[in-house]
Amino acid sequence: MKIIRIILKDFKTVLSDKKALAIILLMPIVLMVILNFGMRGVFMIGDFGDMSRINIAVVKQYDKTEDIRRFDRTLSSGILSRELDKETVEELRKNSEDVDPEEIFLGDFLGSEEVAKIIEYRVEEEGKAVELLNSGAVSAVVLLPDNFIYDMKVNILMPFRNKVDIRVLTHPDRSINGQVVQSIVEAYSDAMSSVIIGKNVLMEAAMEHDLGDDGFKGMKEAMEEISRAMEGIRVDIDNVALEGRKNISSADYYAVAMMTMFILFAAGHGGRMLLEEKENMTYQRMIAAGTPGLGILTGKFFTVFLIALLQISIMITFSHYVLKVQWGGALPVMLISLASAFSVAGVGSALAAATFKAGNYKMANIFETGVIQTMALLGGSFFPVDILPSVFQKLSFLSLNGTALKAYLKIMMGYGMEDVIGYIGVLTATGALLMVLSALILGGKGEAADVKYNKIKAVKAQG
Amino acid sequence: MTLLKVDNLHKSFGKTKAVDGISFQVEKGEVFGLLGPNGAGKSTTISMISTLIPPAKGEILYEDRNISAEPKSIRQKLGIVPQDIALYPTLTGYENLGFWGSMYGLKGADLKIRMEEVAEIIGLNGRLKDKVQKYSGGMKRRLNIGAALLHKPELLIMDEPTVGIDPQSRNHILDTVLELNRQGMTIIYTSHYMEEVEYLCSRICIMDQGRIIASGTKDELVELIKGQTQISLKLDKPDKGVLEMLRSINGVAGVELVMDEIAVSGENVDMVLADIIARVTEYGKRISSIDVKKPNLEAVFLHLTGKALRD
Repeated sequence: MKIIRIILKDFKTVLSDKKALAIILLMPIVLMVILNFGMRGVFMIGDFGDMSRINIAVVKQYDKTEDIRRFDRTLSSGILSRELDKETVEELRKNSEDVDPEEIFLGDFLGSEEVAKIIEYRVEEEGKAVELLNSGAVSAVVLLPDNFIYDMKVNILMPFRNKVDIRVLTHPDRSINGQVVQSIVEAYSDAMSSVIIGKNVLMEAAMEHDLGDDGFKGMKEAMEEISRAMEGIRVDIDNVALEGRKNISSADYYAVAMMTMFILFAAGHGGRMLLEEKENMTYQRMIAAGTPGLGILTGKFFTVFLIALLQISIMITFSHYVLKVQWGGALPVMLISLASAFSVAGVGSALAAATFKAGNYKMANIFETGVIQTMALLGGSFFPVDILPSVFQKLSFLSLNGTALKAYLKIMMGYGMEDVIGYIGVLTATGALLMVLSALILGGKGEAADVKYNKIKAVKAQG
Repeated sequence: MTLLKVDNLHKSFGKTKAVDGISFQVEKGEVFGLLGPNGAGKSTTISMISTLIPPAKGEILYEDRNISAEPKSIRQKLGIVPQDIALYPTLTGYENLGFWGSMYGLKGADLKIRMEEVAEIIGLNGRLKDKVQKYSGGMKRRLNIGAALLHKPELLIMDEPTVGIDPQSRNHILDTVLELNRQGMTIIYTSHYMEEVEYLCSRICIMDQGRIIASGTKDELVELIKGQTQISLKLDKPDKGVLEMLRSINGVAGVELVMDEIAVSGENVDMVLADIIARVTEYGKRISSIDVKKPNLEAVFLHLTGKALRD
């Protein structure tokens, strides 16, 4: 009963403190909006891979031998061969042998110096490639479709255009890398498309001027140039997220990022509460009234818990209705929110106990000005952690906001409860451990702070 | 009947001896005064009686029960009025009283009734809906007292409850203390204001530097300086020379400069008043006021310590 009264009193006190409310509630909402609009279009969010070199898998869905055989049959029996003399057909066949679309894509394009700086590819079977994508070993899978060789040869060597759909499979957790792969393949596609148009214009012009076979005879040089430059070919590329997963927008990301960072300020605020009570003599008065110190500390724990929950509720509601952020399943979001608030309450109570024992606000100040910012950086509240140096990435597990952020993002992407239960466990266990630690700190031996406090009082009085 | 017995109490903070072996008893139904200058050890003594800090040595018995052994049950019998305003300024007076009442286990209708009674006692019933930060210093002091009365304590411990307030509020508080005592409440009242202790307390302990230097009723204490009279002189720019000159006058036992007044004391020192005036005039100083005081606690303290209470 006493604890409930303490919580209600603390909660009223916080709500009547306009400065604290501005930091705890208003600031994150403002930053959420600013960052959302500021970062929109600059980068896609939600990526946790390695930006320095992106691993991809290339899947050959075609049968190369069959495609070549089919192309030869087309040359021999198609409408084209009836219009061309044998010498020209033979010339085209020889050209066909020299044109290898697989080599153009893998060797000339993905293996080029510029692309190889960004992408490292491996050729895999489709099943293995998807497995690698799911495990995070690769950031994207490029699917070279059925009939790829045949269609490409037709596009390169004949005056026709067959549709070639190169698909890029990405992982929602690595959507930045997926976007990079998509952009690079798109650039390839654009370059090829523009040249194939030129090739077709050349062929049509040759036919129009009745150059007939000479137009095809000159194609070998033209096609070698095309293959070297990776030009020609119209390619449609789909960027397809894994089934049932949603990519994260800047609004989604910063709604979570700001919220998980700013709930730490509730801990900072709570960290001052005990010492403030002591300085105002209300702590001593409560002790004199028979309230145990541990009870007062528990009150602070739950006050911070409620403040954090209030922050979370307001920010989720605001971002949902104003920024159109879809948070995902209500139950997992609620459980993550409770666990996050619980861990923050643990931090707040440990900080409160330590600050109380120290008898000054240095720890709370350091926490607010240094620790929160560091946690925010390491946890990905400013930028996704994957664009940080690898040393920082390794330290990101130390940030509670980072753990909460990952859990919320997973639910946003469409993962299930089983995928975030670990995060929820970590957050809850952290909160519980810190609460125990704070009880040990407060109950620990040593009267240093009391002595110091009384000395200050004595000096004040004498002065 | 002895309600509280303090026996050979010690407490140090680092190398500073805040309380150095004090002993006294508080009888049921009395207003007991602890008088002494700031830093005398009064608040530390109060903190130990309130079970807030443990004594380094000695014991405190409440109705013959050691408070260190069973603090929980004894805390319910004590009402503590701390020297500082131990309230929540951003909450209303009503919310403050409600909170402190609940800390003593009151709830529901009992709490509400008691809050109204207390508001009546402290004279704040019209202002309880206002936030405490809007209160005057005197109103805050009164609410600070009210928060200690909600659970009807047997022993009310008041630590300098009138510091920094206007005379009207001070009078209200002093009258409240007397009224509570008339209703049967035992009170320990600490102050460095001699007039308050003289006015309120039936028995007084005078403390200085952590020790009790005298104790008894006001009359018993004044008896210590029987015949000692004090003359207060206000001079234009008093200097060391004039103090030395006054000490050399026959019949003058002590001379102290307290603020801008010179306190001259001695057995029947008023008999040499004419000589004092003549010597000061001869010294070249102009006397702006002279006040002959009967023996009081201020004089007792001066006599015992050689310094004024407000030092």
